[in-house]
Amino acid sequence: MENTVERTVVVGSKSGLHARPAAIFVQNAKSFQSQITLGKNERTANGKSILSVLALGAEKGDQVVLTISGGDAETALTKLVRLLEGDLG
Amino acid sequence: MAHIHILAPLDGTVVELEKVPDEVFALKMAGDGVAIDPSGNVAVAPVAGQLVKLFRGGHAFGITVEGGIELIVHLGLDTIELEGEGFEKLAVEGQAVKAGEPIVRFDRATIEAAGKVILSPVVSAGDGTIVQRASGTVQAGRDVLFTLEI
Repeated sequence: MENTVERTVVVGSKSGLHARPAAIFVQNAKSFQSQITLGKNERTANGKSILSVLALGAEKGDQVVLTISGGDAETALTKLVRLLEGDLG
Repeated sequence: MAHIHILAPLDGTVVELEKVPDEVFALKMAGDGVAIDPSGNVAVAPVAGQLVKLFRGGHAFGITVEGGIELIVHLGLDTIELEGEGFEKLAVEGQAVKAGEPIVRFDRATIEAAGKVILSPVVSAGDGTIVQRASGTVQAGRDVLFTLEI
């Protein structure tokens, strides 16, 4: 059975989800099989597409909703929450 | 299998992505592509599509093309820190763009005076594999920078 987990996270990187943090996030997201989305207000981004994540325009301090569904959802959640909350540059 | 030609968004000289002094681009974390050392002052759309992202500061933009192609043009390195200084947006985020349509005007002198490198990566962040890439000098909106096979 598919497992879906969701967590609201405050973006920690000083430049928001800009090129460097977005690239690091997406590279990690791609290492999981689960479907990964990031939501902010009405917008939703594919967590495995850097341009989609960039288009979300999340700034430092913004709340984003990380939704992950699939077999490795729990592991992915732990890893990606830590990345989003940290300062990736 | 289709081949999509991505045009140079800038006049200038092609530089290998691996030589860009920023690991996000050099290690292809943002995608495969090339960099351009610009000689002009206007960045144009390298392909027809949707301008899904035009950063507030005008230092980078992204275009999606139907079928999963995503392109990112980053004008200079770490130029987010300039907060728009040296950049003038000529297009609006979200609009449809034609290949060669002006997106951002920039002033190399201002950017370099602020201590930034103007070397500009152009990367494919979505579907497709680069099967051919330009070298030497390229002309914006006219020369093919690289070809994607999808």
